[in-house]
Amino acid sequence: MGVTKKSKYLYLGLATTVMAGMLSACGGNSNDSSNSGNTNNAAQSNNAGSTQEKVNLRMIESLTSPARTELLKASIKRFEDANPNITVELISPPFDQADNKIRTMLGAGEDLDVLEVRDLTINEDVTNGYVENLEPYASKWADYATVSQAAKTVASIADKPYFIANGMYERQMFYRKDWFDAAGLAAPKTWEDVYNAGKKLTDPSKNHYGFSFRGGPGGNGYVDAIAQSYNGTNLDEADGHFLKDGKTSIYGTPEAKAALELYQKIFKDTAPADSINWGFAEQVQAFTSGVTAMLMQDPDVIGVLNEKMEKGTWASTFLPVGPTGKTFYGIGAAGWGMTSFSKHKDEAWKLIEFLSSPAENTAFCKAFGLLPIHSSASEDPVFQEGPYATLLEMNTKPEDYIPLKPNYSYTEIGDWGDVVMKNTQAWLLGQASLDDTLKILDKYWQDQKAKLAK
Amino acid sequence: MLVVMGGSAAHHFFNKGGLKFMETNVKAGSTENKAKKSRFSSQLWFIWLCLLPVIVLVLTFTYYPVVRGITLAFQDYNLMHVKNVKFIGFDNFKTIFHDNQFILALKNSLKWVFYSLIAQFILGFILALVLNKPFKGRGIYQGLVFYSWALSGFLIGLIFKWLYNSQIGVINDLLLRAGIIKTRIGFLSDPHWAMFSVISANVWYGIAFFAIMLLAALQSIPGELFEAADIDGAGWLRKLFNVIIPYIMPTIITTTLLRVIWIFSDPTLIYSMTNGGPAGLTNIVSSFMLSKVFGNGEYGLGSAVGIVMMIMLMLYTIFYLFATKSEKAGDF
Repeated sequence: MGVTKKSKYLYLGLATTVMAGMLSACGGNSNDSSNSGNTNNAAQSNNAGSTQEKVNLRMIESLTSPARTELLKASIKRFEDANPNITVELISPPFDQADNKIRTMLGAGEDLDVLEVRDLTINEDVTNGYVENLEPYASKWADYATVSQAAKTVASIADKPYFIANGMYERQMFYRKDWFDAAGLAAPKTWEDVYNAGKKLTDPSKNHYGFSFRGGPGGNGYVDAIAQSYNGTNLDEADGHFLKDGKTSIYGTPEAKAALELYQKIFKDTAPADSINWGFAEQVQAFTSGVTAMLMQDPDVIGVLNEKMEKGTWASTFLPVGPTGKTFYGIGAAGWGMTSFSKHKDEAWKLIEFLSSPAENTAFCKAFGLLPIHSSASEDPVFQEGPYATLLEMNTKPEDYIPLKPNYSYTEIGDWGDVVMKNTQAWLLGQASLDDTLKILDKYWQDQKAKLAK
Repeated sequence: MLVVMGGSAAHHFFNKGGLKFMETNVKAGSTENKAKKSRFSSQLWFIWLCLLPVIVLVLTFTYYPVVRGITLAFQDYNLMHVKNVKFIGFDNFKTIFHDNQFILALKNSLKWVFYSLIAQFILGFILALVLNKPFKGRGIYQGLVFYSWALSGFLIGLIFKWLYNSQIGVINDLLLRAGIIKTRIGFLSDPHWAMFSVISANVWYGIAFFAIMLLAALQSIPGELFEAADIDGAGWLRKLFNVIIPYIMPTIITTTLLRVIWIFSDPTLIYSMTNGGPAGLTNIVSSFMLSKVFGNGEYGLGSAVGIVMMIMLMLYTIFYLFATKSEKAGDF
């Protein structure tokens, strides 16, 4: 072998170091957690939070954006200042991959105490037992009384809250007031108006288009919206993909066909060809950079519009209605939940409670552009004017602008966005007929309904 | 030793008192053997101990994921309902082969690999031939040309996504200004352009690989071969086909083999440029797998796609090495 005693020890040392390194790398987290677990047990036995034992909370956000992360970090800093024995490690994955990252972390049982749960993910999180029922904590929280009913409903399954919303998302229409005024157009009220105004304002030679179309990820929200508006009063408000008869899906009606025919015209005559792939970022950027004239979005874009567009060039209006004069909108929300396997539940709740307090939540919503969760906050002058005013005014007309109740009974609709995106793209590009596309969308919901009945 | 000596010789050997001598020798030999054996076994455990970290690493990060991936392919493993995981036989494979999007992704993969490889190889070879001749500033130029290979595929995808953007992209802007087009082209949204656009980004990415590898091979060709070719009056084309290409053939075979595997299995460019859209027209098998796993949390289906990919690549490798009959493949 030719191995001297000296080099033998050297090799042995090297191999031992590598093994030790590997073992410590593999076991690092569990050691940490067991240590912190002990710390937590000690803290709990001494009345949580009252000892000087350090607790490290791991928290992950889902709807990440640089500006929002900064706001969160500032809130967390205030929390840490008020609770010197708790430190918070914020994980901020890029928006597009955040839910997958959270899903993977939860599936792997990684150390995580607080997570951002969304209306889109609450069902799977609860079904898989990943998130804690917050009822025992919320029932002792004084400020829970001022949390709006809508915020409570969207965060609950079977009347048990699984997250505390950090803001409410509700779509409205933003439009280029200067372009509309110059063309002598009024703000659009119906989907037909959206098409007519959009067509008039579209001039490809100037790179001007009418509507910020979203054919890529998240585009299902728009297909649903127009189909729901056209189904009108027949729609079941508690099960937004079915009519009141409980059998017919919103894609199985002649109204749906008329709606999607108009939707196709909007794409072809008022939107850039590229928009067939657009997601949230491209859609908003097209509006802020002066390419498109209308944008249907949540209030979280208000901050970006204020920052990137000149005052007076844009305004907001109600959502477009269908032929019956009615439209439907979902109230979306994301918020802070606690993992069921957290070893620091008391501290995690302390953080959630702090972030959800009227002062913190209102400041967060004002800065980021969301509707606050506490009913008291809507009295704030900021929410009484500008783009928020049209949103709040729309809420005062529930006979025409009808909020849909969240329906969390369907547990396997995680691929709905993908199904809509691929099939509507094929149809919009002329590779599939409208009838076939409607059949696919209708069958999807019929299958879901059938699974529910089993 | 006795067997080699044969019967009579052995008899003579024993009669001459050789037995005693041999016995002593055997004793000495067995002691020596024992010592050798114990030294060998002590060295053996030392060898295994030194190899242990590597064995653990390979088992943990190569074989365990493969075994887990194969298991997942036969399970209904969906992140939406991880508490309800069960074995479902070949159902995942049946599902993907009945999915039109998967069939489309298979067809797209063939186009994606074929056109990318051909263009990367030809352009990379031309570049290597140019860089093989000394000229002023060759080192700097080489560095500039090869840097694309050092970039992440995801980043390159994002850069090309903005270059091809129909509203604010540089390419549309230049074409409009030059009067070549009158209306903007949706490079990534038009079904006629989308595949071409992603392939062109992939070509740009992969040219450097072929240029680096082929240049190294070109530099190893002995000058005498060219001198002999000159004496025989061979022209440039003759030298290319009768000297250069035959000499670097092992490198060509290995690089094209590897590149096909990499192009086929790398979804990063597609993922960052179009995410398979529009309507799955740029989806390749690997990006389809990614969308199943990360888009829908369908790990079982994703793993089944992974197994299909693995089988396809194994068959391709066997066929390719057999067809090229290159026992020298890999000899740079």
